[in-house]
Amino acid sequence: MFTEDAPIFQQLAARIADDILAGVHPEESPVPSATDLAVFHQINPATASKGVNVLVDLGALYKKRGIGVFVATGARELLRTNRRAEFRREYVAPLVREARALDIDRATLRQMIDDEESSQQ
Amino acid sequence: MTNAIDMQAVTRRFGESTALDAVDVTVPEGSICGLLGRNGAGKTTMMSIIAGQDRPSSGRVEVLGQEPFENESVLAMLSFVRDNQRYPDDYRLHHVLRIAPDFAPHWSEEVAAELVDGFRIPARTPIKKFSRGQLSSVAIVLGLASRAPVTLLDEPYLGLDVTARALFHDMLLRDYAAHPRTIVLSTHLVQESEALFDRVVILDGGTVRVSSEAEDVRDLAFTLSGATDVVQGLTARSTVLSTHTVAGLMSATVWGALDDESRTTARDLGARVAPASLHELVAAIGEHRPEPADLALHEKKGVRA
Amino acid sequence: MSAVISTVKLHMNRRETTFLVPLYITGMVAVFSVLISLVFWRSGSQPGSAEWIQGSQSNPGIVYALLSFLVYLGVSSVATTFPFALTLGATRRSFTVGTLLWAAITSAYVAAILAVLSVVERATDHWFVGFYVFDVYVLGAGDIGRLLPIVFLGVLTALTVGGVFASAWVRFGARGPQLIAAGVVIVIAAALIVVVPAAAEIAEAFQLWWLAVAALAAIALSSTGTWLLLRPAVVR
Repeated sequence: MFTEDAPIFQQLAARIADDILAGVHPEESPVPSATDLAVFHQINPATASKGVNVLVDLGALYKKRGIGVFVATGARELLRTNRRAEFRREYVAPLVREARALDIDRATLRQMIDDEESSQQ
Repeated sequence: MTNAIDMQAVTRRFGESTALDAVDVTVPEGSICGLLGRNGAGKTTMMSIIAGQDRPSSGRVEVLGQEPFENESVLAMLSFVRDNQRYPDDYRLHHVLRIAPDFAPHWSEEVAAELVDGFRIPARTPIKKFSRGQLSSVAIVLGLASRAPVTLLDEPYLGLDVTARALFHDMLLRDYAAHPRTIVLSTHLVQESEALFDRVVILDGGTVRVSSEAEDVRDLAFTLSGATDVVQGLTARSTVLSTHTVAGLMSATVWGALDDESRTTARDLGARVAPASLHELVAAIGEHRPEPADLALHEKKGVRA
Repeated sequence: MSAVISTVKLHMNRRETTFLVPLYITGMVAVFSVLISLVFWRSGSQPGSAEWIQGSQSNPGIVYALLSFLVYLGVSSVATTFPFALTLGATRRSFTVGTLLWAAITSAYVAAILAVLSVVERATDHWFVGFYVFDVYVLGAGDIGRLLPIVFLGVLTALTVGGVFASAWVRFGARGPQLIAAGVVIVIAAALIVVVPAAAEIAEAFQLWWLAVAALAAIALSSTGTWLLLRPAVVR
């Protein structure tokens, strides 16, 4: 479910974004309504709408009045661009910080990244 | 947004003891409000007064713009089943289901039927012989099927198993989305229910310690953990609600926000800072014995929204 | 007004207790009366003789049997029903009025049943064998004009007196009914102290309608008391 690290609406928005990036919701297809999301995740409907609206404001989702909310064309590219900006802050910065705390030098760190990459292929 | 519930300076005394002390609480229409606090904090008394089953010793309470006490039109719009509700002698489930719609103009047979089925409430057993969980189930049926514009749920989880709690959340959210109303829910199961709330009221010893949007609760307090002397040093001039220590380590829940300077200092000294979660905040408030000065401090910080 | 009707329905909701239990009790009393009559018969008394009729008609069993149940019904109509009525959304006012209305309906119902049975009893020449169950002195000795007010007022008195005791319990806890009981005892004792010297003359001048007036007074006092007790009552 949700963690306590960030407000629920942000976590919900991130989760929908994950699903769009993973192709669960293709572009121009509908995403679940805020009500369905609220019931599914057992969260307040207002919180769910707020989460959806984060992505609407971003331009990744758009609302068709009276029909529902759909994934915008180009949403995946948009989200990917956004995520890349976050990537450094969310993943690289802690990685470097932790490496420093553990006295892992730069060369070793690079080697670890290379090894990890080849092992995942 | 108009307020479904508006309590101003509500005090309720029972003889020598003060159950509610100058309570100011507003709940906007169309919200799910968590009413939290320890046993004896005044939650049921507050709900009783909102429901017109009790009257404040002083102060004013309005529900949907009118005083609820002895007010037929407000009472028809209101549902409140207390946690220790009594039922007439030799009542069974069908007695409740037969009479409740008479008093609840928005009663939904479908909601009632679905809940009775899901909770597996026995039809033949006298209510007097119901288990704690079965009594809670009946109270939830009355609360949700009434579709009352103001619905007060007093400890709805008592004795409910995991399946029943999920069913309750499911029905609550589905029906709330289809038929918006104002719901006040008191509970001790904070972690389990906090995602439901868009507003939160925390009572302690009859006074309101927090009344705010659920989202803003994250900014009300923080937890600081690390070496005892570091944590003590950083919190020396703050209102510390509760502390836990173990072998040189300390974790403190502290009112207010941490300024950037202290945050940097904390990190440099190896202490961890995190926003206090709702259940941490409720627990810490319950533990804290406030000094009068502390309370004044909260007022200043605008905690009472 | 609608909440008053709903309160009446709330009481009627216990259908078996309200409508059937009085019938069961009446039936039981009939069975017992018949058994007692059989004992007299076997001991040599002749059905239809003056002595037999006199003895049978003096049997007040029906009154005692119904009375205790009706007082219980009156108590439970407030003690456990009031908290639930508030939960459903009744006001204290509509609950009190609705409860009185329900008590009147129940009284009329019991009066009607006993009237019908009494008529049937007389029409069948006392169940063809001379058994007196309803054609008894306490019920007006077969006079429907007397039976109806006697039963109606008697039942209503039992229900409302039960109600006021329960209201005192709801309001003050266990001490409430004790205080009322003590008060009633004191009032009756005081009345006796005043009246006793003239007891013989009063007994001679006694008229049945005095009882009706006493019942009406008890009903009025009980209902007013119930309202005064419940108006500020808090459920906890």
